[in-house]
Amino acid sequence: MNNSFNRTMRSFFLESGAEILKSFRAPEFILPTLLMPVAFYTLFATIVPMGPESAPYLLATYGVFAVMGPAIFGFGISVANERDKGWLALKRVSPATGGSYIAAKVLSTLIFASFSVASIYLVAGFAADVSFTRATWASLLMIHLFSVFPFILIGLSIGFLCNANAAVAVSNILFLSFSALGGLWIPIMVFPPAMQSFAHFLPTYHLSEIALAVSQTSGQGDISYHLLVIGVMTALLALSTALAWSKQRNS
Amino acid sequence: MLSSSDKSSRLVMTDVCKSYGTTQALNQLSLNIEKPGVYAILGHNGAGKTTLINCALGLEKISSGNMTTLGSKPGDIKAKLRTGVILQNSELPDLLTVNEQIELFASYYHTPFSVTEIIDKCDLGDFANKRYKGLSGGQKRRVQFALAVVGNPDLIFLDEPTTGLDIDARKTLWNVIREFANKGKTIILTTHYLEEAENLADRILIMKAGKIVSDTTPQKIHLEAKGSVIQCQTRLPQSSITSLPGVDSVSKKGKFLEIRSSDDTATLRELIAQDPQISSLTVSKPSLENFFAQIENSESAQ
Ligand SMILES: Nc1ncnc2c1ncn2[C@@H]1O[C@H](COP(=O)(O)OP(=O)(O)OP(=O)(O)O)[C@@H](O)[C@H]1O
Ligand SMILES: [Mg+2]
Repeated sequence: MNNSFNRTMRSFFLESGAEILKSFRAPEFILPTLLMPVAFYTLFATIVPMGPESAPYLLATYGVFAVMGPAIFGFGISVANERDKGWLALKRVSPATGGSYIAAKVLSTLIFASFSVASIYLVAGFAADVSFTRATWASLLMIHLFSVFPFILIGLSIGFLCNANAAVAVSNILFLSFSALGGLWIPIMVFPPAMQSFAHFLPTYHLSEIALAVSQTSGQGDISYHLLVIGVMTALLALSTALAWSKQRNS
Repeated sequence: MLSSSDKSSRLVMTDVCKSYGTTQALNQLSLNIEKPGVYAILGHNGAGKTTLINCALGLEKISSGNMTTLGSKPGDIKAKLRTGVILQNSELPDLLTVNEQIELFASYYHTPFSVTEIIDKCDLGDFANKRYKGLSGGQKRRVQFALAVVGNPDLIFLDEPTTGLDIDARKTLWNVIREFANKGKTIILTTHYLEEAENLADRILIMKAGKIVSDTTPQKIHLEAKGSVIQCQTRLPQSSITSLPGVDSVSKKGKFLEIRSSDDTATLRELIAQDPQISSLTVSKPSLENFFAQIENSESAQ
């Protein structure tokens, strides 16, 4: 029993190591997703801020932006690619446990997402003079890291449903439209009313509202609505991912 | 650990059908592989070889019939732990080195070989630290072979393992396959190289249109093959050769004529008498190639 536990752990360890190595060795994919959020944040929070509230406000929304990239691209493009090439089929006929491949990718995505978030926090704390209590920093970090999961599910669905080329296009479209229309770059208050209502259908909007409330930079204190919506969205995404998973197995 | 029934049935298929839309990829196919050894599946493109393997692995669901792999339902983890595979079209992650791929795959199995052992056995030392992306086509295939055997499995499926390999690499692979067979493992491979099946296989299965149309051994093919194959270049017309003594059939093979004869001495005597300028003359026992051609022709004549 103990032996088999050790074997599973060793296998998971190697699997995660492999995922991390693969990401590090593809800097052309990983660098933009890591550098773009911190570059944008630095620009809009410290170099050309729109007001004194810019830095803390954008910290909450850019944190969501920062974790979305590694999750959507890391899962969407790499799963589609590995499925196209038959690597997933070979894994399926091997004794590898199905979950360990996904779990290893989740771990590696969390690691890259943490780097991405941390780099923004550093800019916020040291260059933009954002001063939160430790408790606020901690809750914000929790929200931002949790945000990775709905996007992982979206990435997985893309990976299971699209071929490698389509996955690149679909990931980019979702990534950019979720960011812009969910109010991650510009607060949705400045959007026309129709676009404001549309934002309610996007996970990015609800996640950033929760992050804003937690960091107390937004007036709306009540986050139960956003928590409920994001919970339902995540559950629906999990369901659709499971369907996509079984569809690709049988095709 | 192994029960006797487990041990005796490596792959059992009973009346298995698999269809893709209107294509019958497997058509009422029955097969029982019990013993260790090398089994070569031959057949033209589209005969159903890959489908057979994919069904045995649980990668494809069969449409009807019954089948077990190592005594379990195809795709069952118990079977997977004792199975190694090369799929026909499967690439490994580009950015991992050969060493890393083997180490990861070995970790899936209970009693794998060590990475160094496999690198040595499969002769991958020259590029063990290179990333998969930078390998040549043949080198990639050899790494895939290493993954198929690293778990020390009892049942190994190799779908065209030697496509793209040079002569030395092919020999290395044959040796490893033979070594596994001698240790009591069952290897089921597909190939388009008939001499490979002839040299390596204990049993030869020929597939056509989703069925096994011949189940034989290289020895039997040689023993049962009657007569000889005479090859030559001659100016005699095909029609006059057909009427020579002993001649069963005549066919053109490039610049050469191939004559099947049940009495080679009589045929040769007349052949040389009628065309003293005859050249490139060889006489041989019918090979698997002749047998294969015969099967294909007789079946399509039906
Ligand atoms: N996914 C699929 N969808 C539709 N038809 C398929 C599919 N896979 C195989 N077929 C069909 O099933 C038949 C058997 O194909 P299979 O791949 O098993 O042949 P094969 O003997 O392995 O050929 P080859 O020597 O070219 O590898 C073919 O007619 C093929 O067109
Ligand atoms: Mg095939």
